[in-house]
Amino acid sequence: MKLKETENTVVLGVFLAVIGLVAALALAYISQLTAAPIAAAEQNATNQALQKVLPPFDNQPSANTITVKDPDGRDVTFYGALRDGKLVGFAGKGSNPQGYAGAIEGLVGLEADGSVRTVLITRQSETPGLGTVVCDRKEVKTIFTLFKPSDKKDGAVPANRILDQFAGRKAMESPWRVSKDGGEFEFQTGATVTSRAVTALVWSIARAFEQNRAAVEAALGGNK
Amino acid sequence: MSLLKDFTKGLWKENPVLVLVLGTCPTLAVTSSATNGLGMGLATTFVLVCSNVVISIIAGIVPKKIRIPVYIVVIATFVTIIDLLMKAYSPPELYNALGIFISLIVVNCIVLGRAEAFASKNNPVRSFLDGLGMGLGFTLTLTMTGIIREFLSTGSMFEVKVITGWTVDFLLPSSAPGAFIIVGVLLAGMNYLNLRRAVKQGKVYVPPQGMDCRHCHICDFGDKTDGRN
Repeated sequence: MKLKETENTVVLGVFLAVIGLVAALALAYISQLTAAPIAAAEQNATNQALQKVLPPFDNQPSANTITVKDPDGRDVTFYGALRDGKLVGFAGKGSNPQGYAGAIEGLVGLEADGSVRTVLITRQSETPGLGTVVCDRKEVKTIFTLFKPSDKKDGAVPANRILDQFAGRKAMESPWRVSKDGGEFEFQTGATVTSRAVTALVWSIARAFEQNRAAVEAALGGNK
Repeated sequence: MSLLKDFTKGLWKENPVLVLVLGTCPTLAVTSSATNGLGMGLATTFVLVCSNVVISIIAGIVPKKIRIPVYIVVIATFVTIIDLLMKAYSPPELYNALGIFISLIVVNCIVLGRAEAFASKNNPVRSFLDGLGMGLGFTLTLTMTGIIREFLSTGSMFEVKVITGWTVDFLLPSSAPGAFIIVGVLLAGMNYLNLRRAVKQGKVYVPPQGMDCRHCHICDFGDKTDGRN
């Protein structure tokens, strides 16, 4: 009986198993091959984001980390930036599940005294054109500036009306709110939920730093 | 000559999205910008070409009873490979934007459809060309939809502002309902062009299944098709 017409369950099972085995071997090989480049790409993305939110540094913040809990019990990872052996700033990475479409992940750069420096949203799936207005820091390219070299200084990030308003503030006891909820922060019309989530996210990261200040500073190498 | 036809039929005559009306999920979901459409199209082309070639090679020994599971395993393998490759080498913004839809190429009807309807009955060379043509036809349609949607909503193309004064986004084209409308207009345009050509050549035009004018009397195109309405 030909293989193609067979109805023998055992033969069919064995055939499928062999195909699956071949596929698994091929995948294992490719997975091994791409493991290093994937790790490098992720590392690269983290480093680029850290460079944007931190003051100039000369250590490896991505290797100098500590994870603490924020006021809501979620994990916040802090990266410490050192310059000449002194702590010059921190970057806190956390997430808030209350976005309009799933969790919003952000990286908040803090000065050495705990005031907010730069806010960067690293992962979100908000509505294009509404929620993304709150989250994106994008340099607008036009056909006129396409071939001109950028005159931006190194380390400067494109402006964002919502994300820039947190700069210079310290997180006190009471949570930050948008003006619609009686707070002092502006929100984006049509993207109130996203604005709320981002405001809460920045506060919880900055607050996590205030609450765990001693532990974070000790672990990341200040006063050494 | 027939080899050339295997390649070109996917671009126009049997365009997977606009004539076969397959793979509408990624067409509607990821074409919010031209870059996303292009990325998704090329990823699908890779899977289509590879799975078509492998399936046409093994088709002779695969038992008929389990051919679909076997095809799915082959397709899923290539989808995982392109997923890993994109994670490693493509720009992170593109990979984040396409997200889950890369993995969902597995259930894209075009891939399984070509495996079952073409690759399993033809030799590897023809299957390769068929996959390439279908993939590029898919890519072209997705990129075109992406360009139209991106331009209508933000006035830019490939993330470059073409109309500099356009500062407030127009949301309809970038949302899913807008995608439906735009793909619908493209489908209607494709039908119209094919119909006009058929009338000129004195042939009877048969629209794609379920997309004829039997149920609609808004215009008189239907009267020219084959008198079925």
